[in-house]
Amino acid sequence: MRSDWDDDRLLGALSEAIKARQAVPSWFIETGKNAFAWHNIDAELAQLTYDSNVDRREAAVMRSETASIRALTFTSDHLTLELEVTGNSLLGQLLPPRSGELEIQTRAGEISTTHVDEIGCFSVDPIPDSPFRLRCRAADGTDVLTGWITI
Amino acid sequence: MRDDPHVVALVSRASEGNQDAWHEIVDRYAPLVYTICTRYRLSNHDIEDVGQNVWLLLVEQLGKLREPAALPGWLATTTSRECLRVVTAANKAERLGTGLDDSVVFVDETMIDEEILVAERNAALHAAFAELPPRCQRLLSMLMSDPPHSYAEIHAELRIPVGSIGPQRARCLDRLRRSSILAAFGEGEAKIDIRGGEPGA
Repeated sequence: MRSDWDDDRLLGALSEAIKARQAVPSWFIETGKNAFAWHNIDAELAQLTYDSNVDRREAAVMRSETASIRALTFTSDHLTLELEVTGNSLLGQLLPPRSGELEIQTRAGEISTTHVDEIGCFSVDPIPDSPFRLRCRAADGTDVLTGWITI
Repeated sequence: MRDDPHVVALVSRASEGNQDAWHEIVDRYAPLVYTICTRYRLSNHDIEDVGQNVWLLLVEQLGKLREPAALPGWLATTTSRECLRVVTAANKAERLGTGLDDSVVFVDETMIDEEILVAERNAALHAAFAELPPRCQRLLSMLMSDPPHSYAEIHAELRIPVGSIGPQRARCLDRLRRSSILAAFGEGEAKIDIRGGEPGA
């Protein structure tokens, strides 16, 4: 802080700081605090590396016929998940291909499971209507968790 | 402020599983995340969505942040990216063929940088205020209330003689000004000053 600020200015700044904190709704703070429940989940994280919604943004300036299939890619060091929305289903492919189990987790903590076949394909049907994330436990021991997905 | 040892310690403790440290991180920086969301004019529903993603990403990144002291910058960048995703998805759903929506254009890096500085300054002011003696906290709180309390009301509430309120205000603010937390803040401040600073200066 500037040591040359006079009293009025310092009090004004302090007042702004307190107001800024009071302006944040309590539900927003709660959401943040509750997130700590996810600390130390023992899985490798896969980052979103492609989202057709975002990557088509530039293309949409020049072409308007881009509203097509929603596709997402999550990448971790050991595994890539490619996802594609087809109707009410989410079709997925593990790369490199391998079998395993796929968990679909919602923020409310609900978990459902689906099978990943030998060539690494799976389907999530229906697509959850609230944000969800996927945890893939491959047969070879690879354990990967995606970021949150909203379709 | 980039090497604020307090932020480094908070991140370190939280990454070791200390829930209190995590709560303090959220208390300190929720205004930053929230303000950026409002700059993107998101609905409450979308703000909650972005907030969830940002905090969860941070939980997962706690032990991996290369520069824990740069946490405000990381939060601002991540929030901005998540907001942009929500806005882009919404635009896509609402229109076909109109191209980019202008509503996101006004959020630029300069604004984000300013929000980071304000957030760091506010966090420092909060922390310094919390270290003041309780009588100073009470007096300054009454002076900052909106509408402000009269000296007569302050006298009735805090039992400070009216003639002592002015000098005590000055002493309390001087304590605040000399706080080591605020002293550590100096350099980044100059950038905010360019924009005119606070009213009443």
